[in-house]
Amino acid sequence: MSRLAPVVIDNGTGYTKMGFAGNTDPQFTIPTVIGLPNKSTKMTSRYGMASKKGIEDLDFYIGDEAIANNKMYSLNYPIRHGQIDNWDHMERYWEQSIFKYLRCEPEDHYFLLTEPPLNAPENREQMAEIFFESFNIQGLYIAVQAVLALAASWTAKKANQTLTGTVIDSGDGVTHVIPVAEGYVLGSSIKNVPIAGRDITSFVQQLQREHFETSIPPQDSFEVAKSVKELYSYTSHDMAAEFQKYDSNPSANIINHSMVDSITQKPYNVQVGYERFLAPEVFFNPELVSSDFLVPLPNLIDNAIQSSPIDTRRGLYKNIVLSGGSTMFKDFGRRLQRDIKRLVDGRISESETLSHNNIKAKPIDVSVISHKKQRHAVWFGGSLLATTDQFYQFSHTKAEYEEYGPSICRHNRVFSSLA
Amino acid sequence: MIILEPNSYALEECLLNRFRSKREIVDITLVDFDNVLYHVSTMDVDKRNELTISIKVNCFDELVGYGVHEILHREYGNYLSQQVENDYNVTLLLDLDNLQQDEAELAKKISYIKRNMMEAPFELAFKYFEQQNDQPGEVMKLSYREDEYMYIQASQDRVTVIFSTRFKEEMDRVFGRVFLQEFVDARRQSLISNAPQVLYSIKEAPLEIRNFPEQRQSNDFSHITFILFPRHFKDEETKEKTVSQIQLFRNYLHYHIKCSKAYIHSRLRNRVSEFLKVLNRAKPENLNPTEKKTASGRYFRQSKSSIA
Repeated sequence: MSRLAPVVIDNGTGYTKMGFAGNTDPQFTIPTVIGLPNKSTKMTSRYGMASKKGIEDLDFYIGDEAIANNKMYSLNYPIRHGQIDNWDHMERYWEQSIFKYLRCEPEDHYFLLTEPPLNAPENREQMAEIFFESFNIQGLYIAVQAVLALAASWTAKKANQTLTGTVIDSGDGVTHVIPVAEGYVLGSSIKNVPIAGRDITSFVQQLQREHFETSIPPQDSFEVAKSVKELYSYTSHDMAAEFQKYDSNPSANIINHSMVDSITQKPYNVQVGYERFLAPEVFFNPELVSSDFLVPLPNLIDNAIQSSPIDTRRGLYKNIVLSGGSTMFKDFGRRLQRDIKRLVDGRISESETLSHNNIKAKPIDVSVISHKKQRHAVWFGGSLLATTDQFYQFSHTKAEYEEYGPSICRHNRVFSSLA
Repeated sequence: MIILEPNSYALEECLLNRFRSKREIVDITLVDFDNVLYHVSTMDVDKRNELTISIKVNCFDELVGYGVHEILHREYGNYLSQQVENDYNVTLLLDLDNLQQDEAELAKKISYIKRNMMEAPFELAFKYFEQQNDQPGEVMKLSYREDEYMYIQASQDRVTVIFSTRFKEEMDRVFGRVFLQEFVDARRQSLISNAPQVLYSIKEAPLEIRNFPEQRQSNDFSHITFILFPRHFKDEETKEKTVSQIQLFRNYLHYHIKCSKAYIHSRLRNRVSEFLKVLNRAKPENLNPTEKKTASGRYFRQSKSSIA
């Protein structure tokens, strides 16, 4: 019998992407949120959710359904900062995502799960315990998100198919810069930016408020800002020039965006102006939104690579890969590449002058790779990986789990040839 | 919530996406319970408006014997394609530029395809029942999963549905047994006394199916027998409900076994954290007490044994 497609689940802080391997897009992208019934504190006092009568433990919603029912159900976010925070909730979240959303019998499938870089091995063991003990799955592979994002970039035109590169992962909550050498995450060089999708949206929202866009109904303003950001934003070359361009010819650059009021169902217009190029500018000039974090993204990437082992740096500069929804802005990759290149070239020429032009450095090749699957890059990388034959060799099977216990998941078999 | 839908959510979503977005070339494979495969694809690169949807069911040959083609013609007549895709059993062909129905309705309808196909033997059984024959009808076998079977038989006053299921895990078998025994007791409650009668046996196969080869070969099946009385298929609506729910029985069973495990795990975790709290309370607060000096500058040390 031919094997059924492995299931790929990428649980992120904001959204969970899940689907079957071999497809190019995840079947479901739902918020990572679980809605539990509002209970009186008296009942939950001693054992928490473990105290029950009847089938209360089955009474919950996940994803969009939970948000739709948030009057009767209190929302809980089982993942914080990429790490699973509440295993009780997470186990039930998986329960429903497998049976209700994906509708598959876990006993028939291999699973590919993702973990954030620097995940504690204990978390990995917990995951394995849940999937092997509760769901009886056939086999499990836990991949690091950044490595999957690298694998996803192999589909890009100018991609060089290596597992060495710097991953810029920017989702809803946080932006990471993760250098990866030969599939191994350089943990000490990971850098974080506390600016990501949600901050950009609220920045756009704030700009619209300042422009007196009074036609926007207050309850919709966040949604309007989000769709404006997604539809019209682009990355400019130079902020000042862009301002001038808009001021000299407003009619060509300002866009009218029509929306429908979610309550009264009346259509209205929103004028979209400077926020078009100011939104992505947040990454390059963080002082726009934040007063305590002031390092622009290109500098941060440069720092991350400079702190990596010296023999990996060329490879890291050469393969800078974008992943996540907040890297989808038009020309984002090009701007990033230009700025990093400027930093690198500046440093080289400085060291050349310091050596009185006695030493000539070999120029460093900087290239930022953007591709079509950027939004779900991690999931897509997982889907690619799970369709290869090696996937079954690298996965931990149920028999092995039973033989050795959850500690097998501490070891990733991809690296066993190195040992 | 707890309820599993009879239709495939993933297929419905996927079709809705196709109907509403640009005409791209797609190639999507989806899975449903009981090893059912769906394949949504654009066959011809030049004809992007044509979308083919194929389904593969394990027991298709048996279903053909029970008249699945009639049902398919009745439900999806306009969309059935003559050419069946390789490795699949049924292929539907949609013209995206010219849908004859409301998008949402059509997507929903197609997502019910597995349920509708599995309905075939049930329909035969209900028909046989209506003819009021004196003899019980033939036992219809469905090998809906590898090594697991479902049998349906109509007799004068009832329709019997038997599931022969296997548990891969010893744990699951125990859970399953507790569950299924509970079924018998639960029926005593007045609220659900209208539910079909459920019998449960392990090892010993029910008389109706004892002659099937697969039953004679092995005896590690668990058998669950549902007895449907006329009130369970008195009109179309109840019929539909009955069929949908019986089909999902095995999935519910396994789903709930997994949920019970998750529940037990959550209690385990809770207990562990309670115990840890108790242990932490037992920790002596200050293991190395600061040395106490007397006024004259002399100090004394407690001997180690007195701490322990």
